[in-house]
Amino acid sequence: MSIAKFLTKRLLQGIFVLWGVVTILFGLRAVSPGDPATLMLGEGASRELIQQVREAEGLNDPVYIQYADYVQGLLVGDLGYSWRSERDVALMVIERIPATLELALAATVVAMVIAIPLGVISATRRDTPADYSATLFSLLGISTPNFWLGLMLILVLGVWAGLFPTGRRPVGLGPAVLTLAETGSISELTTWIHYIALPAVTLGTYFTALITRLTRSGMIDELGKPYVTATEAKGLPELLVRYKHVLRNTMIPIVTVLGLQLGTLMGGAVITETVFNWPGLGQRLIDALDARDWPLMQGIIVFIAVAFVAINIAVDAVYSYVDPEVALE
Amino acid sequence: MISERIKSNLSESFTESLLPKLGVAILICIVLFAIFAPILATHDPTRTGYYDDSGQPYPPTGTSYETQISQDGEITEVAIEPSDEHLLGTNTVGQDVYSRFLYGARVSLVVGILGVLMALAIGVPLGLVAGYYGGRVDDVLMRNADVMLAFPALVLALALIGVFGESPVFVPDPIVYVDSFLDIGVADGMPTAIPIPGTVTIVAALVTWVWFARIARGEALSLRSEEYVKAAKSFGTPDRSILWRHVLPNSVTPIIVLATIQVAVIILLEASLAYLGFSGTTLSWGYEIERGQDVLRTRPWVAVVPGIGIMLTVIGVNLIGDWLRDALDPNVDNSTRGA
Amino acid sequence: MVDPILDIEGLTTRFFTGEGQINAVSDVDLTINPGETVGVVGESGSGKSVTALSIMDLVEDPGKITAGTVRYRNPEFAASIAERHPDAVDGDYVDLLAVPKHVRRSLRGTSFSMIFQDPESSFNPSITVGEQIAEAVEVQRRATTRPRSVSARSTRPEYRFSDFLLSTVFPSRGYVSESSKQEAISLLEQVGIPDPEERVGQYPHEFSGGMLQRAMVAQALAGEPDVLIADEPTTALDVTIQAQVLELLNDLQAEFGMSILLITHDLGVVARMCERVGVMYAGKIVERGTVSDIFDTPAHPYTEGLIGSIPDIDTPGGNRLQPIAGNVPSLLDSEMGTRCAFADRCPKAMQRCLDEPSELDASGSQSHTAQCYLVSDGYAEEEALPAGYFESSGGDS
Repeated sequence: MSIAKFLTKRLLQGIFVLWGVVTILFGLRAVSPGDPATLMLGEGASRELIQQVREAEGLNDPVYIQYADYVQGLLVGDLGYSWRSERDVALMVIERIPATLELALAATVVAMVIAIPLGVISATRRDTPADYSATLFSLLGISTPNFWLGLMLILVLGVWAGLFPTGRRPVGLGPAVLTLAETGSISELTTWIHYIALPAVTLGTYFTALITRLTRSGMIDELGKPYVTATEAKGLPELLVRYKHVLRNTMIPIVTVLGLQLGTLMGGAVITETVFNWPGLGQRLIDALDARDWPLMQGIIVFIAVAFVAINIAVDAVYSYVDPEVALE
Repeated sequence: MISERIKSNLSESFTESLLPKLGVAILICIVLFAIFAPILATHDPTRTGYYDDSGQPYPPTGTSYETQISQDGEITEVAIEPSDEHLLGTNTVGQDVYSRFLYGARVSLVVGILGVLMALAIGVPLGLVAGYYGGRVDDVLMRNADVMLAFPALVLALALIGVFGESPVFVPDPIVYVDSFLDIGVADGMPTAIPIPGTVTIVAALVTWVWFARIARGEALSLRSEEYVKAAKSFGTPDRSILWRHVLPNSVTPIIVLATIQVAVIILLEASLAYLGFSGTTLSWGYEIERGQDVLRTRPWVAVVPGIGIMLTVIGVNLIGDWLRDALDPNVDNSTRGA
Repeated sequence: MVDPILDIEGLTTRFFTGEGQINAVSDVDLTINPGETVGVVGESGSGKSVTALSIMDLVEDPGKITAGTVRYRNPEFAASIAERHPDAVDGDYVDLLAVPKHVRRSLRGTSFSMIFQDPESSFNPSITVGEQIAEAVEVQRRATTRPRSVSARSTRPEYRFSDFLLSTVFPSRGYVSESSKQEAISLLEQVGIPDPEERVGQYPHEFSGGMLQRAMVAQALAGEPDVLIADEPTTALDVTIQAQVLELLNDLQAEFGMSILLITHDLGVVARMCERVGVMYAGKIVERGTVSDIFDTPAHPYTEGLIGSIPDIDTPGGNRLQPIAGNVPSLLDSEMGTRCAFADRCPKAMQRCLDEPSELDASGSQSHTAQCYLVSDGYAEEEALPAGYFESSGGDS
């Protein structure tokens, strides 16, 4: 199977997955209690008004027509209008993407930068104090609920030590970079870093712990393989043996795992954004759920699913590039 | 199934390493807390007593709680500091933090264990059948699994709770029940029934069964081509009894390891849902942390104590999971730690 | 008589495991002359491979070389380190066990290189074969551009983490240079791989076992080593391919003049390739000599047993295959004792075999020796151990 064919297959699978997500969401909405028109207008609305809205929203149509309308809308990027604020859901999703993306990327960077060296040290210096500390850290990391960790960080580093601000962030990355470009002032960027530090650590800790564990056990497996001895026998510098050969082979399966763990990252983002009052998609999702604002909720979840599928296909593409043998099996 | 070799591996790695012992010790403590909560507790965990900083009832009799809030503008002062009366202080509505810590263990453990049992009941049969028969059945199941995995578990759980509501199930407290016949030391006024977040338990199972299905499918797939399964087939043994008698027993080890890991995952999921206010019961560690968030600066213990409870429980479960995984060496790794 | 290129004396390697000390290699003496092929033969678990790894300094934890000298003759190398490590240098010879690790490592690839048993698992599956061979070329290239005297003196690694980070960002800053990649192509050609230009870009799984073993030979030759250690180079291959690979090794030896230390369990390979042989059993060399000494006049009953276990196709139905009774002995120190390790499998075990024999001259020429009392004293029926002696006593002295 060629790489192109393999990726086409994955793309089709991805479309199927998205169709499933959309259908389940539609089904959930259909069976959920409460009349949408009433939810939109509030309890006190008159019967005539409710009927009018039902007609206008197509809520009196048979379910399959509603479903067709909905899917058709999605295909052209129409996510509908929020019941609560009556704004375009697509817009409401898009305006919250940067904050969540910044948070997720910062957390991933934190995780990668800490976890990989930690895993390597742990694996190459087994049963030393360094290994024990890394093991203990990763155990704590996968066992601590991240919302509690966030609160503790706020309490210790924010409130008691006063090192980091604890309120809602005043500036996003985009505006901060713009300011830097226009005025040459770096102060907004440093503010941004100050505000994102604790949320990024909160969201990243679980992944740091997970990747440390995966790297450690993967490295240990990989170091025991005969090609490592053979590569050392060539006289290759140990650093190259360790990083170019062993770590590279360890990372290949870890990348796939991380693709699958994106869902966990998104879930973690929802929580982290709530704790830190972070103006991202997760916070908006919780608001939508509280208000039973179905179009908004659906819009956000469909977006998350699209992102999930797209990133996983990207991971597969990278994978088939770095390890053609395994990926195409 | 569980062979002698596995048993000796288990006991060997248990005696050799400190961590499994620590995990078992932690978990035994938490389980004892949970079971004997009515005896160990000093207060009814649901009774909202209001006290001021000096420990005097607050607000004065006759006025309602809400009016006092509007007059003071602050509800934070309601949580009182740790004292002889309240070992770990109270939360913002005057409930005893220590007693709620004990009862919180019940909710965490029950949701964790029941959730995993339900996920097992859904995932394992589906996975075994899919792996054993392969073909169309397998395709349908695995595509469904992909769809499930495309939802962040927490988001899916939130969506499902949005649909089904968050109804708690009140379960009679067995210890209090026994105490009504034999006096075993339960203090007066302990609740006779405790709320278990029913929807959360079901939802936890619905978002985690996929992992069990994947593992069971993988095992069935590899066992399908084993000689003894082929032999049993050639004798005309019905598929159902091959699955039940041959395939299932041989997949037990990885499933046990996965189940242990998933208990930890579900406990964290329940805590997250409760923190976000979607659990359906207020008698939960996660909910307590949410309540403590507002008074974090002035009354940190309200959020700190239940957080330690979650962390210790999950550490205990994870240590046991690691021990089982290292000793049994099944094909389960950290990648199945999805939530 | 020429001076040996490698002179090993009393090499002892132990593994310190949770279950106790394992005596993998005990007091091994071995000399290899320039351009010569020396065989080490024995069953699996006899310590042959650990001996090879000990020479390369590739013994992994919990293994340690605890005693012995590995003297390597290289006047240039000796001169370059004489100043820093005078104790290790003796004329043209350097005792490799007396120099620091980084100095020994600098000899890998350039002075010693190694071929492994299973080519498929000895190449990194996710890097092209060409790149891996080019790495070996690069090691040699850098070693020659950076004089020994410098590398021996400096403990600073020649390749640093910052170099690695740079290479991940700028592929052109990689470790392997373009000329090394070109050299890899000509090496592949040299070992008889067709279409080398195309082959260099392929991954190990795209090679057949025989082709991959040829590629491994190319990789081992890249550094133009003085000594090539071949650890069961043909065991994983089909019989017809085995012959081709051995042929290749012979041709290349004729061309480059390197010495070969051939480690194998296959006496047929030894007979075909080697001038001299050491027979290894339970971590010790129990008999050594020329190929004809060993095959024509074996002195140690274990060697006799080994030869007896070769299927004899010349006399069908006559000399049946005779496997050696019993199992490979435990190398656990606590279970070994000091007696002859072969005693419990030996058809001619005697009372005195419970003491360790010293090395004894088997032919009077000093070139054929064996660790067995039968050599000096012959078999004494009256001293024979009673049947079932080892079963009843557990075998410990």
